[in-house]
Amino acid sequence: MTNHCNRFQNGLHSRRDLLKGCAMGFGGVALQALMAQQSRAAVTNPLSPKPPHFAPRAKNVIFLYMDGGPSHVDTFDYKPLLEKYHGRDPREVIGELAPTQFDNVGKVLKSHWDFKQRGESGNWVSDLFPNIAKKEVIDEIAFVKSMTSKFSEHTFANYFLHTGSPFQGRPSMGAWTGYGLGSENENLPGFVVLNGGLIPPGGLDCFGSGFLPASYQGSVFLPSEQPIANIHPQEKTVEAQKRKLGLLRDLDLESLDTPMPDPQIEAAIQNYETAFRMQTAVPDLMDLRGESETVKKLYGLDADFKNTQTFGLQCLLARRLVQRGVRFIELTCPGGNGDRWDQHGKLVDGHTKNCKTVDQPIAALISDLRRLGMLDSTLIVWAGEFGRTPFAQGNDGRDHNPFGFTVWMAGGGVKGGACVGETDDWGYRAVRDRYEIHDLHATMLHLLGVEHTKSTFRFSGRDMRLTDVHGHIMKEIVA
Amino acid sequence: MRYFLFIPVLLATLLPAESSADAQLEFFEKKIRPVLAEKCYSCHAADAKKLKGGLQLDHREHMLAGGDTGPALEPGDVEKSLLIESIRYGNDDLQMPPKEKLSAEIVADFETWIAGGAVWPEEPVPERDGENSGESFDLQKRFQEHWSWRPVANPDLPAVKKTDWPKVGPDYFVLAKMEAAGLRPAPEAEKGVWLRRVHFDLVGLPPTPEQREAFLADESPNAKEKVVDGLLASPHFGEKWARHWMDLVRYADTYGHEFDYPINGSHEYRDYLIRALNEDVPYDLFVKEHVAGDLLPEPRRHPTEKFNESILGTGFWYFHEATHAPTDVLGNEADIMDNQIDVFGKSFLGLTVSCARCHDHKFDAISTADYYAMTAYLHGSARQDFPMDVGRVREKTRNQLAEIKEKADALISPDKTNVEKAPQAKEGETIFETFSGEQIPEGWSTTGYAFAAAGSHQGVRFDEKNPWARPGTVDSGLFGKKQVGILRSPTFTIGTDHIHILAKGNAVDVRVVIDNYQMAKFSALLFKGTILKNLDTKGGFRWNTLAGNLKKYQGHKAYLEFVDNGDGEIVIDEIRFSTVAAPAISEEEKMLPSGPLPENVAAFVKKGEQLSGKLPAPRFAVAMAQGTPENAHVYVRGSHRSLGEEVPPRFLEALGGETGDRLDLANEVTRPDNPLTSRVLANRIWHHLFGAGIVPTVDDFGPMGRPATHPELLDWLATDLVSNGWSIKRSIRQLVLSSTYGQASEPHPELPFERLAEVDPSNELLSRMPVKRLTGEAVRDSILAVSGKLDSRLYGASVPVHRTAFMTGRGGKKSGPLDGAGRRSIYGAVYRNFLSPFMMTFDVPGPFGPKGRRNVSNVPAQALVLMNDPFVVEQTRSWAGALVAREESNEKRIDGLFLKALGRTPTVAERGRVESYLAQESESDPVDTWANLAHVVINMKEFIFIP
Repeated sequence: MTNHCNRFQNGLHSRRDLLKGCAMGFGGVALQALMAQQSRAAVTNPLSPKPPHFAPRAKNVIFLYMDGGPSHVDTFDYKPLLEKYHGRDPREVIGELAPTQFDNVGKVLKSHWDFKQRGESGNWVSDLFPNIAKKEVIDEIAFVKSMTSKFSEHTFANYFLHTGSPFQGRPSMGAWTGYGLGSENENLPGFVVLNGGLIPPGGLDCFGSGFLPASYQGSVFLPSEQPIANIHPQEKTVEAQKRKLGLLRDLDLESLDTPMPDPQIEAAIQNYETAFRMQTAVPDLMDLRGESETVKKLYGLDADFKNTQTFGLQCLLARRLVQRGVRFIELTCPGGNGDRWDQHGKLVDGHTKNCKTVDQPIAALISDLRRLGMLDSTLIVWAGEFGRTPFAQGNDGRDHNPFGFTVWMAGGGVKGGACVGETDDWGYRAVRDRYEIHDLHATMLHLLGVEHTKSTFRFSGRDMRLTDVHGHIMKEIVA
Repeated sequence: MRYFLFIPVLLATLLPAESSADAQLEFFEKKIRPVLAEKCYSCHAADAKKLKGGLQLDHREHMLAGGDTGPALEPGDVEKSLLIESIRYGNDDLQMPPKEKLSAEIVADFETWIAGGAVWPEEPVPERDGENSGESFDLQKRFQEHWSWRPVANPDLPAVKKTDWPKVGPDYFVLAKMEAAGLRPAPEAEKGVWLRRVHFDLVGLPPTPEQREAFLADESPNAKEKVVDGLLASPHFGEKWARHWMDLVRYADTYGHEFDYPINGSHEYRDYLIRALNEDVPYDLFVKEHVAGDLLPEPRRHPTEKFNESILGTGFWYFHEATHAPTDVLGNEADIMDNQIDVFGKSFLGLTVSCARCHDHKFDAISTADYYAMTAYLHGSARQDFPMDVGRVREKTRNQLAEIKEKADALISPDKTNVEKAPQAKEGETIFETFSGEQIPEGWSTTGYAFAAAGSHQGVRFDEKNPWARPGTVDSGLFGKKQVGILRSPTFTIGTDHIHILAKGNAVDVRVVIDNYQMAKFSALLFKGTILKNLDTKGGFRWNTLAGNLKKYQGHKAYLEFVDNGDGEIVIDEIRFSTVAAPAISEEEKMLPSGPLPENVAAFVKKGEQLSGKLPAPRFAVAMAQGTPENAHVYVRGSHRSLGEEVPPRFLEALGGETGDRLDLANEVTRPDNPLTSRVLANRIWHHLFGAGIVPTVDDFGPMGRPATHPELLDWLATDLVSNGWSIKRSIRQLVLSSTYGQASEPHPELPFERLAEVDPSNELLSRMPVKRLTGEAVRDSILAVSGKLDSRLYGASVPVHRTAFMTGRGGKKSGPLDGAGRRSIYGAVYRNFLSPFMMTFDVPGPFGPKGRRNVSNVPAQALVLMNDPFVVEQTRSWAGALVAREESNEKRIDGLFLKALGRTPTVAERGRVESYLAQESESDPVDTWANLAHVVINMKEFIFIP
């Protein structure tokens, strides 16, 4: 409930006169400052910064969402046994198998790629990720090799990964983050999704605010000249729009000329100031002229492979969003690499392309954030909705595997070089230090200074949480 | 298996040969107890903070008693002990300890221990001190303690001081509370303000300048009554109020999830709502139609089109989201039912029934058994695409055809009668149905007029090419090819991997519906062979087989469904459940009876075929049908793999717990002495008119909801509603003509702000009307209305959403026009994965669960939409075009803009400011300038904030 008390004691007549008197053209600094100071007391901006529960280790999150489910046994979870038993019936050598999505179980399938221990940490990385494997990158990363999910179907698993629930209509983790902490930039949304081209199965609802207020919902930005809808003025010139908005402001202020103007209306007037500034802030974000050629090259904006360019641009924009104080940034995958990471067939081709798409940009993002001194306060999370089976689907693919897979984190509060958990000798089921998606959420919030059991929202007769009634901090990877 | 081989070895090495009791105890203390203590007791012991799965492992007795999934231990039988199954990690639903698999050695120790009889030393059995989660569940106590279960009172009107203020009953209650708090009502709102308010509240559109002028000029004492009666009689009333129910029943045109498959015929439910509200169908009947409209003995019919309206209400059950290819179909069904019960419970009863899915309700008088008793109704029902019988043409035609057939059949000599040979089941086969009776067999059900039994005597079918019916069949073409219908089998448990169906047909769908899973028609993944789409037997009878993935679903509940949508026909002779291939079929068996028809018979067949050939194309709606009545099992802790007690279909115990069918349930929900249904509705109406409910949590009347601000008023309204025939329109009429509703939104000038701020800062006592922001629909509809582009046609298929570059993803539909074809927003398609960004920005809820109270956000994105959305800009241009085309003075044009958009003329200051803007823009093209001005007026806060 809005607290009206402040307002009742203000001399409202004079206040409106004050607003009018200091108006010096739309976007005028004085007006803006005054509105910011005084209106906020009456109407809380849902995105204004809020104090964390305890000292945060990270202030921002970049979530690298690996849509479709990367194969852990081909990337980070090295399983020599797969070579030994390659071609055997998995039911004979692994034992009883859970139902798979496509119910087309083939033979045990060894990885096509070589694995090596990398960096000082000695963590395993296959040849699919030559850049992430570099010492200065790999040792920043902490692996969780025992992640599990509850669902082997994409949409359930996607909603689960994003919202902690398999159903539509629940708030995404970016929305929860905004709800818990607000944003540090009121000219940009608190939760931005940089859409590489593929909206995951389950659609835009993966980024929704669910029962939380709409202001926490993810804004999907296309890495293009017009990144979000309705950001470009429709007037012929900026001046024409300013004249209109000037007229609008004057007419709106007239309507405040009453003994007790409604606080909603004042807030709505203020929103026009913000919206007007967003029209500049968003194009400014997309304008890379200030970035050096070295940086652009680092991210792969000149790469031969088009998708590396796209994901490189997404990573660079993510860094720029962090610099602007945007709280939670999610990156989705570019299209055209086969079916996302979802290689039910053509595993070699699809995973080669997917890795080529993200390897250089992700390595660049980590190095660049460190160079700028931002890595310590930025949490990077790399995860798919599940992993893939150690046995083939048909001949040359792998099916979904939620029973044990790898995710990793780097940056703010993360113990670089750590590695927790294990799958069994096949990479099929997590058997040691098993974690679940709720634990990933709890840990993310923990690093942001939010106690996951205390960040609640009353809905449907319950105090809802991102972690529902679950969630443990993954202590082994927290620095 | 490989562990077993080790057991004798281990026994031999670790235990003395005679395996003395001492040695066994030592083994237990050394190898078993420490592991239990370290790995299990934090969740499975008397002193666990929270006992998981109802299982204690701190004594043999507890292990034998077991937890939710049954005994943990079977002494002596390693393979039957759940404890072993869980620590082996082979079952993905039962893996303990949850975080980490025990080493192979430890697992082997446990096997040894159990194989040796699971000895445990004599010691006291540790018991938990009561339930440490707090007090135990006491339904009666909770029932007695919470206000909303109490009978609805019929309170007297309270005494007030300012006796000239109240106009209607509710005013007394509002005023009495105000006076008690030392407040006073606001002055009456200006006529223009009231008119705009009541227009938006009743029809969701602004008054036209003409309507405004007429009202301002009307000095008669009943001027307001005339306006209200006009609005209540307007067809637009239903368009505004139907949307409130669409929010509750999570109305959508697609299923969401990966491919966003369509919910065909969804809009028929939306149109049903609009008509029902416009006709002021009594709310108790309205609710009955939702719960059991398919079972009403005398369904309500459309006044002119004569089709069954009542059954359309049942569509609400099926607006849930749905995925294809769930790996766990029973779990999928359980999740859908959870959503259905959530919608049912909150929408009609204001109860969070689905909170009792995993455990007894934490706060309310609702048990887990209550929840699963509700699922029993759903287990015993079937989703159907219901063919609407417009004009009752199908019914009439079928009656005529039956008469003709009777006459024709009477002319066929009895010696034509075939005696069907009793079918012989082979080994591995069970005969499920032979259709040899005179009627559709007992337990089978039909929808529509297609399916009929051919009976045992030789008769005709209305098809000149195949005029002889086959005795002992059910035939959807008996009364002509264009007949439409559905035939459903009784529910059975799948016990074989083949279902063989001896039938002849074309262009019909045959499927086995497993655990009510409906999506196989869109994608057969994981359900291959369970559906035969567009079956075509190439002109003769043959055995058609459902198989493939069917074998995976043995043990699941299912029913067979034959769907004839009017394009084809099917003659079904026999159905076998089988573990072997289909039987052979003789040449003779392949064909319908043949031979020439007697001439007098042929004339009847010709007549019948012609008559049925005239049947129109069908229209389909989503609806419920009665299936085989079933009891349900409690799913212990919400897990469908863990079956608890069996419960019959029955209503909530706290509301009587009456058992029966869905129609009985509907009658229970709408009993006048049910304290919730009437209160919940009265409160919803209040919420929509006054911006907040008397109970602010409109969907939750339970202990976690907020209490009523005016409890006596709520009961007075509920009583008034029921005693006046559950009329929604009457209730609305009374409230919008009240003094409370008639107040200005500014407080009384003599009421000190400090006083108001102190006693009622959030205006719960209604000493003024709240300022309400328009809904997303009303914002868009108003823009269309003022621009002159509103197409006010009613009903019909949803208008596809206009897709922008930002609306990508799987299952994309064709983009619709930018202006939504000028139709009101209620007709815009609700594609779950492609929701209208305009609507979402203005808080139109996503269709996921009941939402009786929308968020009202106030964010910059709303400013961006109104400033820059091409739709808004396009509308202002077309408005300006019309304005400039008229030869009018600027003054008149400015008046016109303000009157249309804001329902008033500009003030002197405003006019001055607008004129100076016009002077500034004098060089520009007039259409541009006036479009800009129209755009500014639409962006004025007053356009969307209604005082």
